[in-house]
Amino acid sequence: MPRDLREMYRLMLMSRIYTDRALKLFDDGRLPTGLHPSAGQEAIGVGACYGLRRDDWVIPSLRTTECFWTRGVTMQQMMDAMYGNKDSVNRGKESFHHSGYPELGILAGTAIVAAHIPVAVGAAKAMQLKGTDNVMLCFFGDGAAARGDFHEGLNLAAVHKAPVIFICENNLHFQTAPASVEMAITDIADRAAGYGFPGVIVDGQDVLAVHETTQEAIKRARQGKGPTLIEAKTYRFRRHYPILAETRPAKEIAEWSKRDPISILANHLLANGHLNESEIEEFQTSINNELDTVVARAESKQPADRSVASSTVYGEGVA
Amino acid sequence: MKTLTYGEAIREALFEEMASDDRVLVFGEDVAGYGGLDGVTHGLQQRFGCKRVFDTPISESGFAGLAVGAALMGMRPVAEMQFSGLLTVPLDQIVNSAAKARYVHDGAMSCPMVIRSVTYPAGNAYMGQSLEAWLAHVPGLKVVTPSTPIDAKGLLLTSIRDPDPVVFFEHKSLYSTEGLVPEEAYSIPLGEASIAREGADATIVVWLNMVPAALEAADDLSLEGIDLEVIDLRSLIPLDEQTITQSVLKTGRLVVAHEAVTRAGFGAEVTAVVANSDVVHHLKAPVQRVGNRGVPVPHSDRLNTHIIPSKDDLITAVRTVLSN
Repeated sequence: MPRDLREMYRLMLMSRIYTDRALKLFDDGRLPTGLHPSAGQEAIGVGACYGLRRDDWVIPSLRTTECFWTRGVTMQQMMDAMYGNKDSVNRGKESFHHSGYPELGILAGTAIVAAHIPVAVGAAKAMQLKGTDNVMLCFFGDGAAARGDFHEGLNLAAVHKAPVIFICENNLHFQTAPASVEMAITDIADRAAGYGFPGVIVDGQDVLAVHETTQEAIKRARQGKGPTLIEAKTYRFRRHYPILAETRPAKEIAEWSKRDPISILANHLLANGHLNESEIEEFQTSINNELDTVVARAESKQPADRSVASSTVYGEGVA
Repeated sequence: MKTLTYGEAIREALFEEMASDDRVLVFGEDVAGYGGLDGVTHGLQQRFGCKRVFDTPISESGFAGLAVGAALMGMRPVAEMQFSGLLTVPLDQIVNSAAKARYVHDGAMSCPMVIRSVTYPAGNAYMGQSLEAWLAHVPGLKVVTPSTPIDAKGLLLTSIRDPDPVVFFEHKSLYSTEGLVPEEAYSIPLGEASIAREGADATIVVWLNMVPAALEAADDLSLEGIDLEVIDLRSLIPLDEQTITQSVLKTGRLVVAHEAVTRAGFGAEVTAVVANSDVVHHLKAPVQRVGNRGVPVPHSDRLNTHIIPSKDDLITAVRTVLSN
């Protein structure tokens, strides 16, 4: 387990460093696209996806970059996708936010918030029909829980006992507005009771708690007992999107910044002797160095080739 | 050959495809226990079981999304929207989740699913809408519109086997119409119109239940010596442009008729196919489009028949193109 925790730490740190580098590249006018930074929420995607089987699947929200890292997407692949390079995952056809890596068990989400929830249920239904014990992890934010697709999807999952785990990253704000405008309750997990399956609240800043809670839900799903809704209480440490102004109270930001998931895990590892300060430094240096190379390569690569723009709209022949 | 109704032919296609391919699933409102409001899915659940044939809650967006997810994972879902006006509800799942799946995955994933949508412009302003043009506008979707039992079966088989999402329109008024269907296995490719009646004087392009209306109009007109060619598109996407242009090249006169609203209806696209080709120089008269006059579908039959095109409206339009 210490080795797993060190790996989770490295993934979370990589995600933070990558995100902040990408934000800087965007601010500097080098990166052609912005991103919805996950900083502050790294424990959720890493904790939930860590230890999944190769043939399990995930659908990330537009902020769950950690799904990609934990499933094995490299920083080079992600940066190429952000630059829309010729040899990027979908050759520049779709934003990295909604990119899929089928070989890594990652389905592309859509830009329509919550639309991927019923899709995840259908994917889980297929796994069930095939007689496998695979699971589907479906990530979304608190904003998605206000949409009809959330309710229809969770209800359908319950009816079919679909092997899907709904992971709500509740960062207490949707886009520029506080949670109070989107719901009159405090805990989204409460909604699971209305569909007839467990709703669990977990500290989204504690990767180990997220991991164990998800593992429990996965076990349940593999046994054919159906879905679980996990609500991870969390906070984003950056603005919703780089060009949007900060709308959250300074005091709230300051309070939550004391609960940095990366520091929490680092302190745990340091206290238990599973990591030392110089190793942390080595991790940071190594990620930063790799990122230098990644950015240089991404910026020197061929841009998307126009000839591919109209390909793969339809398939060919009878599949 | 054997005689089947349009509804029976669709049911036979579902039975055959479910029997030959265990990836095929059928679901929707009232399709399993009840067997479909029109009996089209009758007996499917008894034969293939609750896992592959199931009723859904009234969650059109939810179960359309479920179809997408299942298709992405290799199943072949056939989901029923029991009225085409309902398509407004799952539209996001069809237009975004389904239609874009292949493109955003750069061909690494596909979404082979069928949405069966029952169209019938009567009863109320909501369910009675004919929305095929909305779907035809979306890259990644195919739109199929059969008018006869033989086509309904052959095209549904092809649609289920198609590697992309297909919206398959069935016209409620056609369910009880009969026709000959081969005993042996067959299928019909998408994108091939059929010439339902050959003629030399004018072309009428139609689909779904406008086909029998156009054939009746042609019979009436033939008594006056007018020889109408009836083109049944069978699928809007892919669109058989060649059959349209070749016919217009021959006749020089074009009428397009559908139950959907004329304005921005698919008839505009058919007209544009001719306008954009050299055949436009062979037009002897302006094109006539016939459709709903641009009002919500009225409840009262007296109002309804005033709004939805009839055989007489088609005859009037044909006379108009012939009068120039």
